[in-house]
Amino acid sequence: MKVSKWSERLFGTPIFDPVVTTSFLFPLLYLIAFLIIPVLTMLAIAFVYNGHFSLYWFKNILTSDYYLSFRPTGEFYRLVTMPSGEQIYYVQGVDFGVILNSIIVSLSVMILTTILGTVFAFVMARYDFPGKNIVRILLFVPLLVTPFVNVFIVKKMFLPNGLINWLFYDILHVFPHRIVIDGLVGVIVAQTMTYYPIVYLNAYASFINIDPTLEEQAENLGSGSFHLFRTVTFPLALPGIAAGATLVGIFSLEDLAAPIVFQGNPLARKLMSFQIYSAFTSGFNVGSPQLAALAIIMLTIAILMFLGIRKYVSMRQYAMLSKGGRWKPRVAKPKGWQAALIYLVVLPMLLISIFPQIGVVLLAFSESWSGTWPEGFTTQHIMSIVTQPDIERVIMNSVMYSTAAIIVILLLSLTASYASSRFKKSQLGPVLDSLSTIPIAVPGIVIAMGYFFFFAKVFPDTPLDPTNLLGFNPAMVLVLAYSIRRLPFAARSISAGIQQVHVSLEEAALNLGAGRWKALTGILMPLILLNLLGGAMLSFVYCMSETSVGITLGSINPDYYPITARMVELMTSAVGSANLAAALGVFLMVVQIIAIVLANLITKQRYSFIGLT
Amino acid sequence: MVDVKLENIVKTFGETVALKGIDLHIKAGELFTLLGPSGCGKSTTLRIIAGLDFPDSGTIYFGDEEVTYLPSSKRGAVLVFQNYALWPHMTVFDNVAYGLKLRKLPKEEIKKKVEWALELVKLQGFEDRYPTQLSGGQQQRVAIARALVVEPKVLLLDEPLSNLDAKLRLEMRSEIRRIQRELGITVLYVTHDQEEAMAISDRIAVMNVGTVEQVGTPKEIYESPRTEFVASFMGKTNVIPAKVVERNGDRVSVEFEGIRLDGLYYTEKSDDVVVVIRPERIRLHPVENAVSFTGTVDLVEYYGFFIEVVGLFGETRIISRTISDRDVAGLRPTQPVTFYVERDDIIVLPKQQL
Repeated sequence: MKVSKWSERLFGTPIFDPVVTTSFLFPLLYLIAFLIIPVLTMLAIAFVYNGHFSLYWFKNILTSDYYLSFRPTGEFYRLVTMPSGEQIYYVQGVDFGVILNSIIVSLSVMILTTILGTVFAFVMARYDFPGKNIVRILLFVPLLVTPFVNVFIVKKMFLPNGLINWLFYDILHVFPHRIVIDGLVGVIVAQTMTYYPIVYLNAYASFINIDPTLEEQAENLGSGSFHLFRTVTFPLALPGIAAGATLVGIFSLEDLAAPIVFQGNPLARKLMSFQIYSAFTSGFNVGSPQLAALAIIMLTIAILMFLGIRKYVSMRQYAMLSKGGRWKPRVAKPKGWQAALIYLVVLPMLLISIFPQIGVVLLAFSESWSGTWPEGFTTQHIMSIVTQPDIERVIMNSVMYSTAAIIVILLLSLTASYASSRFKKSQLGPVLDSLSTIPIAVPGIVIAMGYFFFFAKVFPDTPLDPTNLLGFNPAMVLVLAYSIRRLPFAARSISAGIQQVHVSLEEAALNLGAGRWKALTGILMPLILLNLLGGAMLSFVYCMSETSVGITLGSINPDYYPITARMVELMTSAVGSANLAAALGVFLMVVQIIAIVLANLITKQRYSFIGLT
Repeated sequence: MVDVKLENIVKTFGETVALKGIDLHIKAGELFTLLGPSGCGKSTTLRIIAGLDFPDSGTIYFGDEEVTYLPSSKRGAVLVFQNYALWPHMTVFDNVAYGLKLRKLPKEEIKKKVEWALELVKLQGFEDRYPTQLSGGQQQRVAIARALVVEPKVLLLDEPLSNLDAKLRLEMRSEIRRIQRELGITVLYVTHDQEEAMAISDRIAVMNVGTVEQVGTPKEIYESPRTEFVASFMGKTNVIPAKVVERNGDRVSVEFEGIRLDGLYYTEKSDDVVVVIRPERIRLHPVENAVSFTGTVDLVEYYGFFIEVVGLFGETRIISRTISDRDVAGLRPTQPVTFYVERDDIIVLPKQQL
């Protein structure tokens, strides 16, 4: 037996071992084949004009007012006179061109979710007030993903007779006129309500993880409550909050649900994600190099945001300074004015923010909904889930795709996390690490786009070729997309599990005569079984409700629709279909609640916390 | 049971050189200890012998067989980890039986051997417990049983007592010694605790920043340290920088703080030396063939079973230790005091670049 220098360099162990090698190469090759190459295919198309390398398509985009304009057009809001003679404010935002619009929406959503998420997190982390446990449960409600339908409810809330105007105009008389939001502002409001829980979770974890002695010392030195927050608490929590906000920024950039629901207003269509999506649905523009160029611009923006936050967070790893160990977080009873703020501002905000999910349920069980509240109770829509063959079929499709995807996801994230956390000396390790986290920053619509080019080029005229239309079977493409998109999240939770298992437990097995395979399957895997189960369940939930790829590549052939493809079809078609989409939303919520509760139950035995994302 | 030979083992981690060419010969059946401060390379040496790390260069022999790059699983040098590394999802029986199952022994034999091993470590009847249901000392015993049951060529113990409380530490120390004697196996023991090393070992290798400073029996190491590091690492001792001022064959005169000591044994070239005197070898009353030096009392500290008198000689503090109350009667700080040391108890060593 001889050592091999290249094995040590590549795989971090001087003795060549098939298990180690596979752990590196399987996820690496998978990511290269199904993430890097599809993106490269797109590059190859975007940078070629008339058979030569050229920036033509990019120039075309960047010089067109449609895509980029520094002189905004349109009025941010208008006072509109209704047929009834009543005047209302109609708020829709202004047009800076597709690219700037996307960036502005994304930044606005980041700022708004940061404010909302941080306030909720601070209240929950630092104050103890009657009703806190109910609030804690309520805060999980907005995490439930109901593609499209929740945005539909948001839109309803801001109609002239919607909940918001009923509350603030009719009852409280706070608004001078009724306010209707639409267009870009509609998108911003809907995305803020959808994504703020992500900032909340991050901020909450950050606040909880602050060593209380740091705050106590500041107080001890004479710092008052707001000064303390501004100078100690907030700066310490900022890296976590910023990470959450960036994730939200990327999600906002790639979001399709809000632009699709608000697409009645032309301004809502002038977003990068929607532009690419609409090329898919209209069908005639999909293969266009200009679209590929737009996708690449979108990808670049997302990756820059991602790299920026990574750099920032790694520069500010304060947490490491504190000694380890558990501590009792600082929780105080709110003072009079603080209690007033909590009950009169924070809680009502929370109730408004969970209304979309409540609305989805109301919509699913109602006959019609044209006023402030829905009318007529019916179970007809919910029953369609089990009676209507097309609905049954999309559910079965999604279950199949998702089940296949979680098997791949588990294999990928187990091998990748095993390789990078156990063989740190490997030079492939950092490459694998970056490759398996980068999908966070790759918008789903860009993956869809890349796959479209990739599979059309590499597998023409086969069931894998999306241009084959009714001959196209998206199963494999969807499973690939799901697995790539979910990998960073699953890998992180499995990594966390592996890091809790001391490496000596495997070494002891090796030392007693076991091979790597035995040590992996007999020692490590049983010890992280709960992480694997938890990861599998949360991944399943994610795959079931995945939007971007599902409603593009997934919606080419109706026989193979996943749930979301059918939902978007229902949302954008005839009256009454929204109720059915809501029923599917309720179905998804139930699946999510079961999965989250199960994941918590099985993991709570040994691990107090498991990341939801 | 084999002897273990390490020849010129070099190991680097990135930029840092962890082992700078280690040579060791551990005889069959002895309890050999690697002793040194943390970061000296003793655990790395152990892991290299276990086959969990591999050297950059050098050779390892078990008996006549070269094992340098043999994978851990095929080596038969079984390590008892510092944290015991018991598998929490397996019972005590399954933990201990693990190595035997890998060797595909028949069920009956496995059962017999596990019973034997658990009896050896006095844990009969604990077969069905899980590691988390055991105390630290019991976990330690399971780890030792798990290693012994596969009849290792060499048993490797990595700081085995560091996670135990003081009382248990003494108990386990003699347990380990007993088991080693009973089985007559070769044991390589790693610790940073010099007292533990001296109590348990047949021989000790003192390591410092990736090199072996001295190998010898506990007595040799303690009484005849060959380097300044070994002298200062083995218990509390006086290490006084001095200059050789006169040479006379293998005898020299040295001077520190204006104090001259004559007729000390020293044969090295360097004139920059340290004078090593164990505190308990300093007397406070005259003895034969002794050198003496006078200073003032700096401190008298009462430890119970001994008393320390710290003398101040110019800028230099020298600690003496006595068990006699009478010796210190009437000694007060700033009063003059005279220390007496037999010449044979004074060791002169070349000054070391530390």
